[in-house]
Amino acid sequence: MKRVVLACRLFTGAVFLFAAVTKLPDLRAFAETIANFRILPAAVVGPIAAMVVGVELLTGLALTAGVFTRPAATLASGMLVLFVGFLVQALARGIDLRCGCFGGDELATWGTVVRDVALLVPALLVALQPRPAPQTVS
Amino acid sequence: MRTGIQAMILCAVGSILGLAGNALTPRPAPLREPVHAAAEQPGAVCHDLSVEIPRISFTDAAPLCIACKASFVDARSAAEYAGGHVNGALHLAPGEDPALLLPQLRSPVIVYDGDAACAVADKVAGELRALGVADVRVLSGAWPGWLAAGGPGESGACAVCGAGR
Repeated sequence: MKRVVLACRLFTGAVFLFAAVTKLPDLRAFAETIANFRILPAAVVGPIAAMVVGVELLTGLALTAGVFTRPAATLASGMLVLFVGFLVQALARGIDLRCGCFGGDELATWGTVVRDVALLVPALLVALQPRPAPQTVS
Repeated sequence: MRTGIQAMILCAVGSILGLAGNALTPRPAPLREPVHAAAEQPGAVCHDLSVEIPRISFTDAAPLCIACKASFVDARSAAEYAGGHVNGALHLAPGEDPALLLPQLRSPVIVYDGDAACAVADKVAGELRALGVADVRVLSGAWPGWLAAGGPGESGACAVCGAGR
């Protein structure tokens, strides 16, 4: 089980790092993608875009380095739930847009929703791993 | 409980990191000005992102024009077309009936408009593709790019495109 959790942690960390690094060269485009979801007020879209990438970067670093693992995995799970929510509301309203997942021009589709839900599984596994039992000194 | 608080702290630190690092990126997100959805921009044109129309550069398109080996379609207004257009180009604005034009088109069909974003050309190209024209491309740089690069042009209304043009 330990190995499975380790693999999930490294995988989720790598995905978040990759997501952040691919957005860094063009944060303006990412902000425009967020605006196209038409859920946030235009005034906060720019700061939110920068913050999301910062959180993705830190979460990815924490998970791959193995520090603050549980909080980082909890944060990753929360973000994935938010991403799924954003995507579902946009697709349900028939908004045609890029997903903004890993930079680039990938279209947002129901397949993207399924992928994000699938990514949620390893993140939750790490977040919900049982704490190691406290060692007693006799 | 402790995990939740630590996650919030991590989120706050990441947010500050993102805001502070934004300016260091090649194309930072605008922090002090609103960012509107593309559909809310002035002059926004409905554009189906699932229909990717390939681009063609001036370098590739100009020889096809000179050798008459392609059809050029001008998607700007009739007045703009009359003021100057690619040599031999036909005129077809978005939403106009292309019935008269279709038999005159030879492959490849190169569509252009007056704006470097090519949104109008994309729309007309999409319409032509929907009507079965297989090889449709959009001219990169549009009409201003063509002019600036010294591409062959002419002026006058289109006699063969349809009534009133």
